[in-house]
Amino acid sequence: MLELRGVSTRYGPITMLRSVSLSLAEGRIACLLGPNGAGKTTLIRTILGIVKPVEGEILFEGRRIDRLRTHEIVALGIGVVPEGRRVFPRMTVEENLRMGAFVEWAPADLAARRDRVFSLFPRLAERRRQKAATMSGGEQAMLAVGRALMGRPKLLLLDEPSLGLAPVLVEQLFTMAQAINRSGTTVFLVEQNARKTLEIAHHGFLLQKGEIAGSGSAAELAASPIVRHAYLRA
Amino acid sequence: MPPLELLLQQALNGVMLGVMYALIAVGFTLFFGVLDVIHFSHGDIFMLGAFAGLSTLLGLAAVGLRAPVAALPLAFVAAILVTGLVGVLAERVCVKPLARSSPLMTLLATLSLGLVIRESVLIFYPRGADPKPFPQLLPQGGFEVGGVAIRYENLAILGIGLAAMVTVDLIIRRTRMGAAIRAVAQDPEAAQMMGVNLDRTVDATFFLGSGLAAVAGILSGLYYSEIHFIMGITGGVIGFSAAAIGGLGNVYGAIVGGLLFGVLQTTSAALIPRGSEFRDVVAFAVVMLFLIVRPRGILGEQSVERV
Ligand SMILES: Nc1ncnc2c1ncn2[C@@H]1O[C@H](COP(=O)(O)OP(=O)(O)OP(=O)(O)O)[C@@H](O)[C@H]1O
Ligand SMILES: [Mg+2]
Repeated sequence: MLELRGVSTRYGPITMLRSVSLSLAEGRIACLLGPNGAGKTTLIRTILGIVKPVEGEILFEGRRIDRLRTHEIVALGIGVVPEGRRVFPRMTVEENLRMGAFVEWAPADLAARRDRVFSLFPRLAERRRQKAATMSGGEQAMLAVGRALMGRPKLLLLDEPSLGLAPVLVEQLFTMAQAINRSGTTVFLVEQNARKTLEIAHHGFLLQKGEIAGSGSAAELAASPIVRHAYLRA
Repeated sequence: MPPLELLLQQALNGVMLGVMYALIAVGFTLFFGVLDVIHFSHGDIFMLGAFAGLSTLLGLAAVGLRAPVAALPLAFVAAILVTGLVGVLAERVCVKPLARSSPLMTLLATLSLGLVIRESVLIFYPRGADPKPFPQLLPQGGFEVGGVAIRYENLAILGIGLAAMVTVDLIIRRTRMGAAIRAVAQDPEAAQMMGVNLDRTVDATFFLGSGLAAVAGILSGLYYSEIHFIMGITGGVIGFSAAAIGGLGNVYGAIVGGLLFGVLQTTSAALIPRGSEFRDVVAFAVVMLFLIVRPRGILGEQSVERV
């Protein structure tokens, strides 16, 4: 579904991603684990064309996207929950959700999509006219996920959605990611919380200092010495 | 203390001037919203709009079309198109490419561009150095309410200005392009992740803001019965002040700021001896005091109404 072949990305003179290759299986949950500063967010930004790779190819459903611009890439069916959530602070919950459907803007099933988000996150329905800036971190996280779902993405990218959330909420969010995946969306989950992530992911990759340091099924990753040592403290 | 009627009269005049200032201010505030830049040639775009409107009216008159109901709307459309395109060009050439460099560069580039626009009108418009009479196309005459004279012409200017503001408000709040503008103003990167085409949105914003300046330009011609190639300097400074009073980035603030500035000007003319000579001095002094007290403007950052 999504494939990176030898992708390198630089910020100025510094190489942030070094020849990264990975492939996401359609209909699955893939995860990307790695410590702070490993380049996880950079990888997401590279997929989205916010930074351009200096070498390598990125393919989505078999077609090259690394030369496209961000709005063209997401229009192919990619939903994003960016690092830090980035909800639109001065828009209401409803307006934020509408932005999630920006590509189509007025699809026939707009109301149905919104109702689906509201049934997943009843909290958002209660706050539909509230400005995003005035909501709690947890509510903003839900809003960011709901917003990404409004575009009916084939692939959902989640960059540390659990960051800063209370354990109950993290639990909820992961359950939600599973539910979203079961309804047919491929999920790419970037996380530092390896234990929880490996419980729901089917397969994954380990990123260290901008390089892929390991990959495999969730079970293989959980058993690998690096992950056990660095993330699971087992 | 001047009689109440005189004050009311001046306040009314102030509201009318204020509508024009507000139309200029909205442009400043929109540009600041999407690119965080101050576009200093915007005042000269306002002047260009007035000249484009005048040229259209003269052209139409030359082919025998003088009926205001037909000529005026055409003049508005033509002037909006001209300023809209020049505004987009200005943004592409000297605003956006510099948006990431020092704000001083944008300041320099847009000030120079303003100079180029001004000099071009001076040189290329026939006898460009002279003030140009602007045709009186609005209904003359009027009526009186409680000692306050109300002219049909002024009502028309007010009506056109308000209609322009309502249109912009609807565009921003109800259309897809408006949603893109708001999203880019709040978080350009997140906006792109939602599928917003950043370049096109910035273009649209500059078209919209510059088009509004053209409306203000024509209204100014209709109000003062003449236009002049240097009118953009004062127009720009006042429009920018109005936007600053309202809190840069805030569309409703810019409108309030414009109205406030207009009313300040005219009432200070009535309240202060020889005030009409000093009206700009008084108005700007109040603006400066105001900005010292409330640097973020009336509605300021806390306001959720910022685009
Ligand atoms: N725009 C930028 N310009 C220069 N360097 C950057 C930029 N963005 C990130 N970096 C640097 O790139 C490195 C990788 O950052 P990145 O955000 O991709 O890491 P990450 O794995 O997502 O970390 P975290 O878990 O903290 O989110 C960091 O050292 C960071 O300082
Ligand atoms: Mg990150």
